Amino acid sequence: MDTHELDLAALRSVGIIQQKQKGLLVMRLHAVGGDLKAEQLRTIADVALRYGKGEVHLSTRQGVEIHNVRYEDLQQAKHELASAGIQMGACGPRVRIVVACPGSATCRWGLIETKEIARDLDRNYFRQETPHKFKISVTGCPNNCAKATENDAGIMGGALPVWRGETCTQCDLCVHSCPTNAIVREGDSYSLERDACILCGICIALCPTSSWTAARRGYTLFIGGTMGKRPRLGTRLLDLIGNKEELYTLIARVIGYYREHGEARERFGHMIDRLGPDKVKKEILCA
Amino acid sequence: MREEVRKTLDIRGVACPMNYVKVLMALEDLKPGEWLEVTLDAGKALVDIPRSAKEDGHKVTKVTPADDGYRVTIEKGRHETGAQTPNRS
Repeated sequence: MDTHELDLAALRSVGIIQQKQKGLLVMRLHAVGGDLKAEQLRTIADVALRYGKGEVHLSTRQGVEIHNVRYEDLQQAKHELASAGIQMGACGPRVRIVVACPGSATCRWGLIETKEIARDLDRNYFRQETPHKFKISVTGCPNNCAKATENDAGIMGGALPVWRGETCTQCDLCVHSCPTNAIVREGDSYSLERDACILCGICIALCPTSSWTAARRGYTLFIGGTMGKRPRLGTRLLDLIGNKEELYTLIARVIGYYREHGEARERFGHMIDRLGPDKVKKEILCA
Repeated sequence: MREEVRKTLDIRGVACPMNYVKVLMALEDLKPGEWLEVTLDAGKALVDIPRSAKEDGHKVTKVTPADDGYRVTIEKGRHETGAQTPNRS
């Protein structure tokens, strides 16, 4: 097949990208939250051996890519991957594959189940068009392993601690282990400085007598994070969002707002800075 | 040394997970209810060691700042920890 017969823009939309070497393509695969079945990995390996150069590239966003695939082998490679339930990824101005840390299913620090959210968001938004690329990440806690603040929309688990004195033995572990020094002891009682608390839940997890418990748990939503040539960390839109429905409603508004106000090739975070973060937050929250 | 403290251990500079393995080994020599005093580094160890100890049924009873780190007293729990290698930390 000749290069001219291929619609390169259409291929890019499904994560098939022309390499600098004439006639060779990158196949970016769809793996939500970096998850694949072991059997799928075998198929990917087979396809890479048969149609690539026997190598697989792991991208910075948990993606799996097969490089050096020839144009003429593309359809067959796609077909073999699809037979194993592996779809293609995305590229260009649209919602990309959702990344996620392992979350509370596996990690002792995880405060939310990240993979379910990643799959829900992927189902609702994957490959949908936006003014520029739109990246979503779900991270289980403020350790921020999945870098929620570097994504256009970043979801982070959080827990608001509250101290109840009856069982406390005044060991001071909470005071010394709080990463932001948000816990203050006065006499035999402890209090939380809410503005300093990052909702990481370490005091709750560590307290030997369960005197610190979670008053509330929820999702923090960051918007407008990006790396690239003009890096910008995400703006905190709202913390402790109490349930998934509210979270998903807000994310729908966030993406809708970007589509309405973002200029072509303008990243969401740069749009937020152009319009003013306070104004954008207010308009999204009060919509 | 407080009366309850039966043993002391310095794990400053010891990397995870060996720092917690040393804590478990030291706790083996104690009876339930007795205290181990551990000197550890500020930062990750001050979070990981108390968490692992809690998950294995032991209890932190006091944390005080010390030279280059913290002094943490841990009360041995009632159940046998044995010589098992921790499966986390």
